[in-house]
Amino acid sequence: MHYTSDFFAKSPESMLVALARAGQRGAFAELVTRRQTWIRNLMRRCSGDATLADDLSQQVFTQAWRSIRQLHDADRLGPWLKRIAINMWLQHKRTNDPLRGADENNDADSAHNDTTSVAMDLDNALATLSPDQRLCIVLSYHERMTHGEIAEFTSLPLGTIKSHIRRGTLKLQEQLSAYVEPLKEVE
Amino acid sequence: MNISHDPNLQALFAQAEQDFQGDSFADDVMRQVDRERRKTLLVWSAVSIFILACVALLATPAFTAARLATELLPVSLVEIETEWLRLLLSPVNSVAAVIALSVLGIRKFFRRIFR
Repeated sequence: MHYTSDFFAKSPESMLVALARAGQRGAFAELVTRRQTWIRNLMRRCSGDATLADDLSQQVFTQAWRSIRQLHDADRLGPWLKRIAINMWLQHKRTNDPLRGADENNDADSAHNDTTSVAMDLDNALATLSPDQRLCIVLSYHERMTHGEIAEFTSLPLGTIKSHIRRGTLKLQEQLSAYVEPLKEVE
Repeated sequence: MNISHDPNLQALFAQAEQDFQGDSFADDVMRQVDRERRKTLLVWSAVSIFILACVALLATPAFTAARLATELLPVSLVEIETEWLRLLLSPVNSVAAVIALSVLGIRKFFRRIFR
């Protein structure tokens, strides 16, 4: 059966997932269009490199297309995509040595052209954190995940996550003092 | 205020989010999907051709080896004239029995050494 792009644009997400599961490429392309902002921003905060983030986002959606039949509950598309994205980032971190990462970051300066100054400053501040600290901070502030959820996604101990977020928050507050009011009270 | 969760930072993260519109990214993803599909198809075709070539090349030698094995394996090691004794000893009086016993012996030997 042939569907128009207008039909996909007007369809609810659950229907798009069902159609994509049945092999409808147009439905999946519409899902990509709808979810691209979220995934691309998540990858940008994780990597700090717009080009790398877009490459990884593309891989996330390619992986999603390959395994869309495993997504039985259409309402779980968001968490399912998030898991793929985080696994993709963790895999990228494992397979890329720090020196290569440094080269990528140098190249990334030009890739920041389409990035706002707030995003640039935030990414620069995030770059001062350790990779694990950064991931925990991004998942906590960008994804608004609880410590328990972060532990489940990253397989890091809960205590380590709390410590990463606490230290990372302090560091970001220091780095981004121009944007963020310093904390008055410390618990 | 909870030090592990600063609402100002939370707002900054939200402010830093960019809105990506348009279909160009989705088009890139679908092109990548097509590339991967073609690559998978190519790999499977190459593997199939390789297997077919192997089968074609090795079919005759494999058949000859199988024929020789079926002829050689039942050959008696010692000629026994008495019919009932020959039948009784036939499970151990053959090339196949020697090979089987050797394999079992080597297996037992290795298990004793490495366990």
